[in-house]
Amino acid sequence: MSSLFGTMSIATGALGAEEGALDATTNNVANANTPGYSRLQPVLVENDPVTTGSVTYGMGVSLEKLQSLRDPILQLRIQEETQQQGQLQAYVTAMQQAQVQFTTSNNDIGTEISNFFSSLNQLSTDPTDLSLRQGVLAAAANMATAFNNTSDNLSQERSNLDLQVSQDVSQVNVLTGQIANLNTQISQLQGVGQDASALEDQRDVLTGKLSNLIDVSTIQSDNGLTLTTSNGTALVIGGQRFTLSTQTTASGMQDIYSQGSDITSDLTSGELAGLIEVRDQTIPNLLSNLDTLSAGLANNLNAANAQGYTLVQQANGTLQPGGNIFVAPPASGQGAAATMAVAISDPSLIAASSDDAASASNGNVATLSAVQNQAIADGQTPTDYYSSLVFGVGSDVSNASAELTSSQSILNQLQDQLGSISGVSLNEEAANMVQYQNAFDAAAQMVTAINDMLYTVINMDTLTV
Amino acid sequence: MSAIRVNPYPMPDLLAALENLQQQQSTATLEMGTGSTINKPSDNPAGAAELVQIQNATSQLDSYQQSIGSINSQLSTADSTLSAVATVLQRAISLGVQGANGTLSDTDRSAIATELSGIQSQLISLANTTYQGQFLFAGTAETQPYVADTTAPSGVSYKGNSGTNSVTIGNGYQVQVNLPGSQVFNGPGADVFQAIQDLINGLNTNSGIPNAVTEVTNAYNYVTEQRVFYGNAMNQAQSQQTFLGTENVNLSQQENTVAGADMATVASQLSNDETAINATLSAMGSMPRNSLFDYLH
Repeated sequence: MSSLFGTMSIATGALGAEEGALDATTNNVANANTPGYSRLQPVLVENDPVTTGSVTYGMGVSLEKLQSLRDPILQLRIQEETQQQGQLQAYVTAMQQAQVQFTTSNNDIGTEISNFFSSLNQLSTDPTDLSLRQGVLAAAANMATAFNNTSDNLSQERSNLDLQVSQDVSQVNVLTGQIANLNTQISQLQGVGQDASALEDQRDVLTGKLSNLIDVSTIQSDNGLTLTTSNGTALVIGGQRFTLSTQTTASGMQDIYSQGSDITSDLTSGELAGLIEVRDQTIPNLLSNLDTLSAGLANNLNAANAQGYTLVQQANGTLQPGGNIFVAPPASGQGAAATMAVAISDPSLIAASSDDAASASNGNVATLSAVQNQAIADGQTPTDYYSSLVFGVGSDVSNASAELTSSQSILNQLQDQLGSISGVSLNEEAANMVQYQNAFDAAAQMVTAINDMLYTVINMDTLTV
Repeated sequence: MSAIRVNPYPMPDLLAALENLQQQQSTATLEMGTGSTINKPSDNPAGAAELVQIQNATSQLDSYQQSIGSINSQLSTADSTLSAVATVLQRAISLGVQGANGTLSDTDRSAIATELSGIQSQLISLANTTYQGQFLFAGTAETQPYVADTTAPSGVSYKGNSGTNSVTIGNGYQVQVNLPGSQVFNGPGADVFQAIQDLINGLNTNSGIPNAVTEVTNAYNYVTEQRVFYGNAMNQAQSQQTFLGTENVNLSQQENTVAGADMATVASQLSNDETAINATLSAMGSMPRNSLFDYLH
């Protein structure tokens, strides 16, 4: 059996439900521009009906909950792609700077090598001319300087990357600390059955930032979110954060440690992985290639000079044999480019002559020039070796840039997709508002009507017919 | 009813598109400015590597051309010196023929002999010709090649050596640039100084003058033959110069093919980019500023 009081409670229930729904709309509109906000959707459900005799009466509506619209799988994909992008971005940015050294210019290594051999060609036309000899020494010094500068700049960049690594590690620790705090708050709220979607949104934003820095795997467990690196190093477990630290190694660069173990080489994505790849692999490889080339040039030119004779006459009347033009590079070759230097300042010590009795001979200039066409570095001529180096640097950067572009467009698409699920549309909210407002108005009218009816019933005896 | 919900915030997409376009535009502007499509190795890695090779080849070529310039002057100085030697020797021959005339008095012959002594000094000085401080006929020695020497039968001795220098004027192409004086002036049976000395002696003693004249004639012929060497070397240098000129053109064409920016293409790229940027901006500008909220009263 229905009663007026029962009907009244349906109407007031509706007022409450519509008010709650309107609250969701208000919150959505208020957060329309909040990063990471997932829109709320009111979940309205019909109350269980009551059957009296043959009539079934509806019992109105209740607001079950305000549901936050999110897509965890999509968020996971975004997280992965963000890590990928963070890595590529770091790699490309660092290598863009490195490749400038290898752009053909007036004083890059390739040009200075060519200039040096050109100066030898000039010397062969007049081997006793001191200004031509001076020209060879100047070109040798320029070549050495080109190696020094390129090598120094690359080393400098390594140090800059190293600094960035330690800054990123601090940033990671800040983020994992914040995430651990949110984990605690979220599980407290959920423990008492409350909605924690606002905090979850914040945690998503922080996890996104963390993904940009380091590779993160997320595991949703009972006590909140567990974050680890892809090889299983814990970053956050529930409310506990595991800080990363850096420690300077023998190489002078900082390695990343988690709870005493070195995880530097385990990082596979995120900005840190990109920085570490350039710092520990790409640039050291380039430096070692430069060392090979400069040591090959210095050793072979020194050997060629030793085969000839200088302008200096010895006590016995013969000419003094040539010595080193370049300071002998370290035997291991390591650091050869950074330390390459001309060993002589007296131009007469260039051994142009191939005859210990004839100072105007140019016979040994050909031996010096021949180094240009000899396999002096890993079986390649100086120019071939350098041009392969340029190719290597160029294709590294151009491949990584292409990957970065595609990663960016994938990320854009994914974010579009997420936006279509979680983003707030003001039009939609306006329509909802109108709808909930109208329903609220109608319910209020119902309350007035029922109130009138109750008044009628209560005053029934005093009414005169 | 269920429509596909679209991302209500297209701004980040549009901004990314705008950024890409601006990147393209700045690349095109750079290409326009430098005239090159390769402004860093990643622009075209294979092309950048090829540019290193082209740059090296061009630099080599330039240095060969410079070398040819230097040796050309050296060769032509030597050649004109030998031409002068030939003229002087011709004069000596005619003096000898004159001196062989039986009607001449001792005084006349002695006067001729004196003139020949002058010729001898002239020849020594020609044989000691230098080019930029370097003796042309000393072989690879730096010393003055011919000095007066009373102990030598010819009165002149050679202090140079028999070495020669070669200069590279192309890849694997060397040209010899000098002949040692001993080969030019002291040929077997054709020693210039000995011949003149013999003629002077003949005139002074009035004996064997015709033989001495023959000797000078032989020396003249021999020197003239040696002069051909310099002519040939100059010809070689000349034709190599022409070849290198063509090569230089080839190399710059190659460089242009690898890295040259086609200005027409770059210009149209720039204007396309500009159009696209304007279109994107106007799309961003014309995004609805109003929502349904503005129409609810």
